[in-house]
Amino acid sequence: MSETAAAESPAESAATDPTVVVETVSKHYTVGGRVTALDAVSLTLAEGSYTAIMGPSGSGKSTLLNLIGGLDTPSSGTVTVDGQEVSTADEDERAAIRGTAIGFVFQTFNLMPRLSAIENVALPLVFDGWAETDRRERAATLLADVGLADRTDHLPAELSGGQRQRVAIARALAPAPALILADEPTGNVDTDTGGEILDIFDELHAAGNTLLVVTHERHVAERADRIIHVEDGNVRDTESLTGGE
Amino acid sequence: MDGREALRIAIRSVRGHKLRSTLTVVGIVIGIASVVTFATFGASVQAEIVGDIGDSSAGNIYVFGTPADDEGFDRVLQPVFTTGDIDALERLDGVRGVIPRGVVQVSSIRANNQTLARQQMTATTPGSVTADSLVSGTAFTSGAREVVVNKRMATAFRENLTAGSTLTLVSADGSERPVTVTGIINGTRGALPISSFARQPRIYGPIDPFHESVVESPSAGVRQRAFPQVTVIAEPRQIAETKTAIETYLGTESDARQLSGATTALVARSGSDFVDEISDVIDQITRFVTGIGVISLVVGAIGIANVMLVSVTERTREIGIMKAVGARNREVMGVFVIEAALLGTLGSVLGVPLGVLVGYGAAGYADVTFALAPEWIVLAVVVGLLVGVLAGLYPAWRAARVDPIDALRHE
Repeated sequence: MSETAAAESPAESAATDPTVVVETVSKHYTVGGRVTALDAVSLTLAEGSYTAIMGPSGSGKSTLLNLIGGLDTPSSGTVTVDGQEVSTADEDERAAIRGTAIGFVFQTFNLMPRLSAIENVALPLVFDGWAETDRRERAATLLADVGLADRTDHLPAELSGGQRQRVAIARALAPAPALILADEPTGNVDTDTGGEILDIFDELHAAGNTLLVVTHERHVAERADRIIHVEDGNVRDTESLTGGE
Repeated sequence: MDGREALRIAIRSVRGHKLRSTLTVVGIVIGIASVVTFATFGASVQAEIVGDIGDSSAGNIYVFGTPADDEGFDRVLQPVFTTGDIDALERLDGVRGVIPRGVVQVSSIRANNQTLARQQMTATTPGSVTADSLVSGTAFTSGAREVVVNKRMATAFRENLTAGSTLTLVSADGSERPVTVTGIINGTRGALPISSFARQPRIYGPIDPFHESVVESPSAGVRQRAFPQVTVIAEPRQIAETKTAIETYLGTESDARQLSGATTALVARSGSDFVDEISDVIDQITRFVTGIGVISLVVGAIGIANVMLVSVTERTREIGIMKAVGARNREVMGVFVIEAALLGTLGSVLGVPLGVLVGYGAAGYADVTFALAPEWIVLAVVVGLLVGVLAGLYPAWRAARVDPIDALRHE
């Protein structure tokens, strides 16, 4: 189902609007001297695609993820997510895009330590203005979907690493986002649990979600349709994987 | 954002650091409690004293001399009001009666071989000892060596004085005068002068024979008894007009004007003037002392600000999470302001009853009737909430400015 999902350049994606369009995006930092983290990078994520970004540390892959995730703004170029231009949005607008169009899954889970599993899952909906009963209902459904129906009222500290990451995935899914961003999602769990997490990603992909996973592990990246290799702030090459699920 | 969710997050955070939150709240409790204590105690003292004076003396107008550059409550006790002046005052509109008062210095009072040193006796008319002021016995008789005493004086001796007891007044030159006590007054009611605070031992006797000050009346040209102060009983509805008429008379044709020096102003003060003045003084003292309480409240507020700053630093990662899942800056700020306000409100809610309790204890200790100062209590709660919000604003603003990328990386 994913063979034609990724368009190679923005110009060729006329048929369906791509979920993410990154166009000649550069990011410079001033740390002592001027550091270029990204240098005129362009890429497109078609709706329903599953893409992995690989690269050594310092390659700019995290910067790229932050830009697509609306956590950061580019020095030049444009980033569009789900038709909304992230690069020119102000702070509040980017917060709204993060809360409704994007679901984050982090390496270190990043759950609120004093909120229960169900409250963590419902948190994005709080900021999106959902009523409490609606929030709880949706969060309970999502926790059940990731196999944690019996852990809804546990605090993160009472859950295993794999369970925490599943809570984080449920939270990412809460606003029914156009894009799921995962940053080293298996980096803090053992191999078996990592496999379970990746299986959930496969299911999400199969259900039509658009996923972008940043990783430095080849076997994680290979689950995707294609791998974008980033090095020294540039896209070195794009590798299409046939039969990648 | 759902306010209840922000409150839930705030409550979890407060409960997550029980000791720290408790200590912070204790700071506010102390501040609010001291404000409420001082305000309550002040209100109690005020109510007690105003009650003492104000009971029935509001219609009295007190006439006396005062230093000209003063606000007019200090007294210059010189015998300047002559019998002629008293007659003139009695003829003024709105005057029901005039009670002259003299002060008789007594070096000591003796009863049953027990001596009290340095006492003053007030010489006045029998009519000023009204039936409602008498606890027992009767008023003294003019021309007789008779006195009435207040309860405080009656109990000043080992053996309580009663109507019929005999006292010996010893004057400065050593001469002794035996007198008979005819009655006991409670000293807070009736037309007796303002200086008759129930708290001091007081003794009253008739002008004749006790008051001996005599001056030559400039208007009549004959020697007349003269008094340092006069109480005018005014028609209750005409107090202001009567006061003006008295001051006009005093300022122009009175003997008192001619007898007193240029530096002395002759004034008329109604009972309510005194009540107002004393209330003002107590108010000022209360405000001053309450101000000291406010200082401890400020210290408590600094405690909140401090704890909130620590909290922001500790929860940098949580701030990053909230921002990543869609929290706007003002929503992040709201979470922290609500937490600070929660600490402030908790402090007020606990501090007010504590303050009222301590105020109640202080009022009991000082032997005054307990009175609440409701406006101060409301103010204290509002201030506690405001203090929390204000102390939380800067830390919350810092929280809102946290960069989510750094925050999510924060350990």
